[in-house]
Amino acid sequence: METVNVFSEKFLQIYQESVNTVVLEGADKEEAVQPDEWVKIVDDDWRSTSDSPSCSYCRVQFSDPQLQREHYKLDWHRYNLKQSLLSKLPITEEEFNEKTEKDDLSSISGSDTEPESTLDTYATAQGKIFLQNDKGQVFSIYRCLLFDRKEEITEKLLRDRLSRCCRDSPQWTILMLGGGHFAGAVFRGNEAILHKTFHCYTVRAGQGGSQSSRDNKSGGSQPKSAGASLRRYNEQSLVQHVRGIVEAWRPEIERSSLIIYRASGGFNRTVLFGGSNPLLDRADVGLRVVPFSTRRATFTEVKRVHSLLATAQVYSSLENATQHLAKQKSPETEAKRTKLRSSCINRAKSRETVERPLPGVLSDTGSETDLAAIKDSIEDTTNLDLTLSDLDSGDSLTPEQRKKASKKKKPKKSKTKKLKEQEEARKKELVDVLCRGDLDKLKKLLENPVRSAEDSELSKEALDEDCNTLLHVAALNEHEEVVVFLLDNDADPCLKNKNQQTAYTCTQSKTIREALKQFAKDNPEKYNYNKAQIPVNALTPEELAERRKAQRKVKREKEKEKKKENNVKRKEEEEKNRFLELSDREKRALAAERRILSQSGTVTARCFLCGSDMAGKVPFEYLGNRFCTIDCLKAHRMQSPVVLSC
Amino acid sequence: MALRVQFENNNEIGVFAKLTNAYCLVGIGGSENFYSTFEGELKETIPVIHTSLAGCRIIGRMCVGNKNGLLVPNSTFDTELQHIRNALPDSVKVQRIEERLSALGNVIACNDYVALVHPDLDRETEEIIADTLKVEVFRQTIASNVLVGSYCVLSNQGGLVHPNTSIVDQEELSSLLQVPLVAGSVNRGSDVIGAGLVVNDWCAFAGMDTTSTELTVIESVFRLNEAAPSNITSDMRASLMESMS
Repeated sequence: METVNVFSEKFLQIYQESVNTVVLEGADKEEAVQPDEWVKIVDDDWRSTSDSPSCSYCRVQFSDPQLQREHYKLDWHRYNLKQSLLSKLPITEEEFNEKTEKDDLSSISGSDTEPESTLDTYATAQGKIFLQNDKGQVFSIYRCLLFDRKEEITEKLLRDRLSRCCRDSPQWTILMLGGGHFAGAVFRGNEAILHKTFHCYTVRAGQGGSQSSRDNKSGGSQPKSAGASLRRYNEQSLVQHVRGIVEAWRPEIERSSLIIYRASGGFNRTVLFGGSNPLLDRADVGLRVVPFSTRRATFTEVKRVHSLLATAQVYSSLENATQHLAKQKSPETEAKRTKLRSSCINRAKSRETVERPLPGVLSDTGSETDLAAIKDSIEDTTNLDLTLSDLDSGDSLTPEQRKKASKKKKPKKSKTKKLKEQEEARKKELVDVLCRGDLDKLKKLLENPVRSAEDSELSKEALDEDCNTLLHVAALNEHEEVVVFLLDNDADPCLKNKNQQTAYTCTQSKTIREALKQFAKDNPEKYNYNKAQIPVNALTPEELAERRKAQRKVKREKEKEKKKENNVKRKEEEEKNRFLELSDREKRALAAERRILSQSGTVTARCFLCGSDMAGKVPFEYLGNRFCTIDCLKAHRMQSPVVLSC
Repeated sequence: MALRVQFENNNEIGVFAKLTNAYCLVGIGGSENFYSTFEGELKETIPVIHTSLAGCRIIGRMCVGNKNGLLVPNSTFDTELQHIRNALPDSVKVQRIEERLSALGNVIACNDYVALVHPDLDRETEEIIADTLKVEVFRQTIASNVLVGSYCVLSNQGGLVHPNTSIVDQEELSSLLQVPLVAGSVNRGSDVIGAGLVVNDWCAFAGMDTTSTELTVIESVFRLNEAAPSNITSDMRASLMESMS
């Protein structure tokens, strides 16, 4: 890719002969459906030969209806369904598998597919237009140089416009307005023949926005501060000033082929287009908007805008252009996607889980052996090369040496590999023995004189891919005596496997847990049993039994008390019932009796109807009958009507 | 029993009603005539619920359901959902679906055991359909139409599909669905079967324009009357023979 100024001779040569627009993507896609394929579909009429169930979309037959139902749920079937909707031939299962491996199946994904943004849409979003000449060269320039926003692109107009704005009258006017700043310039070719910038204080400090828009918003009551009136005055003067400049430049502006402006916001546009006698005519064919974002309106910015507009990118071929653009596009879209993902998580939908590797013990040992191998090789090299060994001391390596070390590593690798293999075999054997619970063999293996140096380490290192230690394996396989043996031989119960389980937590077996607890009780100082997740202060069975006994006792006492209370209640109830059964005369007699008794002690008075206790209350009374409430009295009267006429 | 109904002078009653073996939904704001036809036929056996979905009364095209459940689009209001939930029997699960193809009635056709769905439906939606409606889900087209819900009507007894469905397709579909299928039309030749007809296992409602021939086809394929095809050779045999001789 190279950049060319649109006013240069070189650019003229590029577009002189003929130009036409190109489509970056999708141009070659249309060739995919060949016309003869259409014919084939009509000819090729697949029929199932027998009555057995079949799928006419995928053109297969099934021996069994169940197979057919299974088939209808496959992605392959779904793909062929779509193919048939597009009037294309179905593909076989093998072809489909190949395709899925290549991962080029966009069509079978569900309804959540969104329209792909192509390179073309990306290019047009940048405001550029891609053109090709007869030599196959592709160049891009800003579309606004040639066409207005709503204009249709036609081949005939294309050349006229190109030559007009670049060749015949290379005079452009650029006007920029915003935030009280004005910058304008008239360029002939690359050179500014007229330019002017100025600034007025119109933007409200702190709040932003122009004073006029603030005034319009507040309705009748306009701010009367000194600053407000200053800004109001400045706005007026800005309009006057711009008008003056544009009027002065009028002949040059009229001669220019393009008037490119930037005036964002209502106020800035009214400066250029407002009033009874607007500065610029909206219907002007050469009037364009700056197609990209700009900074504060200054002369340097105007020059930058001009230079950007006046450069064309020239690519040697179409592929070159596509590649270049794709490269530009991809990081941006990626960034966009990640941003989207981070900003709004749809919590209703299931998200993919991120699996992070746990810091395992295994990886440590692996790297250690590697390091050892490297060190070995380094030593070799230093022996060979005396000068180097003289220069270097300790572990600081020159880049050369490192290179050599890595080179030398290759032949050595076989040795380390062998070592590794040996290690692996040993581990496997150990695990096997542990699984069987063969204590004697385990003892033999661990007491092997060759490995005795590493013995203490052995009980700590991870055996399998879950980072289980010897103790874990033994606990998982529930061999109590092995566990006890291992513990006695300095196996650390605090070590955790990949699932963050210690030997105690990884097993469900009671006997193993009991053994571990016993060990913890016997050697209280040896390990941090909190870390090993072994409950140390757990009670012994005797203590537990005692505690249970005590609890039972308390419970029994409580029950006794309850019984007593119940007894009292029952007695009271009985008394009540007995009282209710008495006739009124007897009740009265009883009350009298009580009254006599009350001289000596307390007496409970009872309602004659419901029999409830009314000691201490003022009774309601008629004809010597006493009641707790007026309702009881009424009810009693209704039950035994008194003959008044007696 | 198949009946002819009209919804405010409109024959596309499948648009305004949804009929299953456990409930019947009818769009609000219809005439009493429309409601009384449904209520007279169904009220004793299943609830007839007057409702809207997302403020629309085209409920037949927006929701899909069977005796096990009811799926409504995401745009359904909470109040509507509550109303439906209250009116439906407890055994029916109601679920809102977030799906781009929101006219669920058009993209899903189902009976109590199987469902045909639009090939573009989300996988997630497919799972929800299988779970809520307790059906086996198949992606399929009917006479090269992706809108399976519009172009076919299924019950546990049979199914009516788009009149252009080829014999091969019909056989495949019926072996898939395990019910007999017939290609036919409603509303005097309309091929949008789903819009012109609602059925369950014991009754059907078709648009007022449906001809008696169409009605007979509907009754026989959905086995709505006792005059099943087999009866011709068994029950009616004697009388037929007599009249011919």
